[in-house]
Amino acid sequence: MINTKKFRRHSCIVAVFYLVMMPFTSIADVYNLTVDKVIIDTGKFKKQGIGYNGASPGPVLRMEEGENVTINVTNNLDEMTSIHWHGLILPYQQDGVPTISYDGIKPGETFTYKFPIVQSGTYWFHSHSGFQEPDGAYGSIVIKSKKREPFRYDRDYVVQLTDKHPHSGARIMRNLKTMPDYYNRQQQTITDFISDSETNGLGTTINDRMAWGDMRMMPADIEDVQGFTPLINGKGPNQNWTGLFKPGERIRLRFINSSAMTYFDIRIPGLKMTVVSADGNNVRPVKVDEFRIAVAETFDVIVQPKDDKAYTIFAESMGRSAFGRGTLAPRDGMVAEVPQLKKSPLLTMADMGMDHSNMKGMDHSNMKGMDHSKMKGMDHSKMKGMDHSKMKSQVDPFYAPGSGLTPNAGKDKKFLSYQDLKAQKQLYKHRAPTREIELRLTGNMERYIWSINGKKYEDEEEIRLQYGERVRFKFVNETMMSHPMHLHGMWSILDTGAGKWNPIKHTVSVAPGTTLYTETEVDAPGQWAFHCHLSYHAASGMFRKIVVVGGPKSALLNSITSKEPKV
Amino acid sequence: MKINFLIFFSIGVIVSALSISPSLAQQKGLLIYGLQLEELEFRRGDEGEELFAWNGDAFVGTDEVKLRWLGEGEYDNTTSKFEGLENRLVLQWPISPFFDMKAGFRVDTPNGPDRSYSVLGLSGLAPQWFEIDADFFVSEKGDTSARLDAEYELLITNRLILTPSAEINVAFSGDHEIGVGSGISDIEAGMRLSYDLIDRRLSPYFGVVYERKFGQTEDLAKAEGEDFEGWRAVVGTKFMF
Amino acid sequence: MNILSKITAIAIASATITLGSSQAWSAGSHDGGHGAKKNIGIPGKASEAMQTIEIKMLDNYYEPESISVKQGETVRFIIKNDGEFVHEFNIGTAAMHTAHQEEMMTMFEHGVLEADKINHDMMKMDMGNGKTMEHNDPNSILLEPGKSGEIVWKFNKAGKIEFACNIPGHYDAGMMGKIKFKS
Repeated sequence: MINTKKFRRHSCIVAVFYLVMMPFTSIADVYNLTVDKVIIDTGKFKKQGIGYNGASPGPVLRMEEGENVTINVTNNLDEMTSIHWHGLILPYQQDGVPTISYDGIKPGETFTYKFPIVQSGTYWFHSHSGFQEPDGAYGSIVIKSKKREPFRYDRDYVVQLTDKHPHSGARIMRNLKTMPDYYNRQQQTITDFISDSETNGLGTTINDRMAWGDMRMMPADIEDVQGFTPLINGKGPNQNWTGLFKPGERIRLRFINSSAMTYFDIRIPGLKMTVVSADGNNVRPVKVDEFRIAVAETFDVIVQPKDDKAYTIFAESMGRSAFGRGTLAPRDGMVAEVPQLKKSPLLTMADMGMDHSNMKGMDHSNMKGMDHSKMKGMDHSKMKGMDHSKMKSQVDPFYAPGSGLTPNAGKDKKFLSYQDLKAQKQLYKHRAPTREIELRLTGNMERYIWSINGKKYEDEEEIRLQYGERVRFKFVNETMMSHPMHLHGMWSILDTGAGKWNPIKHTVSVAPGTTLYTETEVDAPGQWAFHCHLSYHAASGMFRKIVVVGGPKSALLNSITSKEPKV
Repeated sequence: MKINFLIFFSIGVIVSALSISPSLAQQKGLLIYGLQLEELEFRRGDEGEELFAWNGDAFVGTDEVKLRWLGEGEYDNTTSKFEGLENRLVLQWPISPFFDMKAGFRVDTPNGPDRSYSVLGLSGLAPQWFEIDADFFVSEKGDTSARLDAEYELLITNRLILTPSAEINVAFSGDHEIGVGSGISDIEAGMRLSYDLIDRRLSPYFGVVYERKFGQTEDLAKAEGEDFEGWRAVVGTKFMF
Repeated sequence: MNILSKITAIAIASATITLGSSQAWSAGSHDGGHGAKKNIGIPGKASEAMQTIEIKMLDNYYEPESISVKQGETVRFIIKNDGEFVHEFNIGTAAMHTAHQEEMMTMFEHGVLEADKINHDMMKMDMGNGKTMEHNDPNSILLEPGKSGEIVWKFNKAGKIEFACNIPGHYDAGMMGKIKFKS
């Protein structure tokens, strides 16, 4: 009897053990990636580039939250390579940035990444060596959540965008350095001058041209690099990537902007999109008609096409020089109308950090309207009378007031703003930051030099952070370009004024002439890259190394050779 | 001899620059290089003379310092003579957001007496998009002179571009052996209409050039029985690598 | 910790299954549908309830995600908000939900509703047109996190109806469920 009882108890434990352990053992997965030379066919041109497992984009790596991944990366190129797992929280040695995380992967060598997956959502990976990423070295990561997600869908598609250029990344960099407007084919011409004179009067037009000429800057300078063909999942507009659905189904579209330089405005005419996730972190669902995706950002949206017809996924570049196009259709081969590109925007003096009344003396300290910290505290209890007109503000506080870049989805249509993003789940307890670090985003367009606080990467020391602190970064964009700033290894909590519900991102876009704040809980020891994700801005100096000192694994850091911090 | 040395030296620098892998660039200072021929043209004068002319530069370096070769010349097809043949090798570094300082030497080896000079100059972008080059020269003989070059690009469309340009040479002391008198010695004004055929790599153009010698320089030319003034129709192409 | 949560998850899952199967109700006389103004049914009396359905509201979904009723049946719904945000349980047609979503949006814009809080004082305020923003329709209940409530509803007429949360974005994210009519 006793024996039997003992046996039964034992078998019971074994059963429980298996029940519990099985899912874990089965998902400690191994992934293999090869880095290869590939031919990229955009439908407009064919170009040799770099891809993974023989293709660009590389595969969708499907992982599960809680698993320990092993990724073998074999370099079949004749130059060094690397893979950075964009947005993943992992030990810094696994982050894949040459000279910061490790040495990189030599030709012919296989490097094995091993790290636990501690998050879920949509992410991507790309080379962090030279210009391999613009040359095609990118892919996507989809991580299944352990818990049920706060939204429902029947189908799931990755929609990965890029701006494939007929020139190699190295050549683009060289051309930009030699002639910064090399690729800008939207400059103002005599024809524009004549038509502007007719509309605004000759005097005004001359004054306008003189004001820009005085600064030696161009209002049409929105896209540094034009002449690219936007691709969706590797397909050009004519090759038309198509995702199938059955009418009535909810489709989750995981938008990833893997472009080197291009922001896209995305819409699906005929469908509302419910944004449910940004940069891998769920946000409270918000229904929009259109959204802008900065370079390196991801947005997950849910759409529910009810009719038995095709819908166009239309992704027009922010400067309107090109569009990407895909289709959602009940059956293969169905197409929907492809909209025309909207008119190209022009920067205004507001984007230069000034308004028209005061064009000289760029006083950046006077940038009104951007103080997000003052926006909270809208005391609802005191709202008597309820002024409806002031409630529905069409102004996006993440653009300079009067900016030429402020997006607009059209009458009665909603364009997503950072302001709409509210965390679905807090990752950290909300608390006051321990200190603020000001980062002025600076540059010289004519020399094509991009920098932070006026210094290029190679001319400045690293930024040192203390493990356990909560740092508030103040980004002051003193340039006329938008900069998608990406911090590796730790989250950037974007201050939208929503307090504890501020959205949690890995990349935040700072529009020209604006100041924005992010906060970071410094919880990842080691050294990390921090940079503008526009490839040619990062390469020309808008880049910093961050060193996190202290913390549980501080012993690991002893091997890091880091210079003494500047006073 | 000097000219050969210069050309080979420049080519050597460029080739070694090319061999450095661009993947290193992100971590170190970015090494860049380029070649630009602003003018590469055939000229036909109002008196039937035919000339071949060029004006270009090549560089290698970083944001902080560049080594730049600048060359220009004019070959007279009728007389088979180099009317002008000039090469400069300078180091160039930024001194303000829009301007660079350059210093180096210049060697002139046309048909006739050669000259070499020390060069100190400025080059950059003036307000209202005027591209400016201002150079000061001291010759081996101790004569000083200066040159001001200005250029403007007028966009008719984003590819069809009208480029007016002007060059003024001033001599502070005469060097009669090479036909230069003291004072404003000569000007060259041009107007070229180009079309960007392949990117900005190849942009064929046509236009007119007006050249005129002044003062003592004009007198010297007259004494030699040379033209001191003339209109030329030009056809050529810009080239950029 | 992992083991524990795993076991808990299994327990919850099996409980849900049990709950689901317990819906296999029988019988229930029908009312004939007299006096139904809307085709979605009418408020019912708790004493006439023939079925009790427990609805758990989470972020942002229901458990269960579909229910079955019989025409004429009175159902007592016990609704619990186990999420971190305010949720609604509302019985209506898709068109009614769409219209209600706009009202809810207005409530958010005016601060009557916050993500995790209902400002009851503000609801009673006059909007200047004699109307208030009170959320007191009998076919719906709005609950703060942790709160529970009840609705008794008589499904006197079969139709295409759904239960849904009309907090902005929630319906579109999938926080809705079908009401199936058994014969």
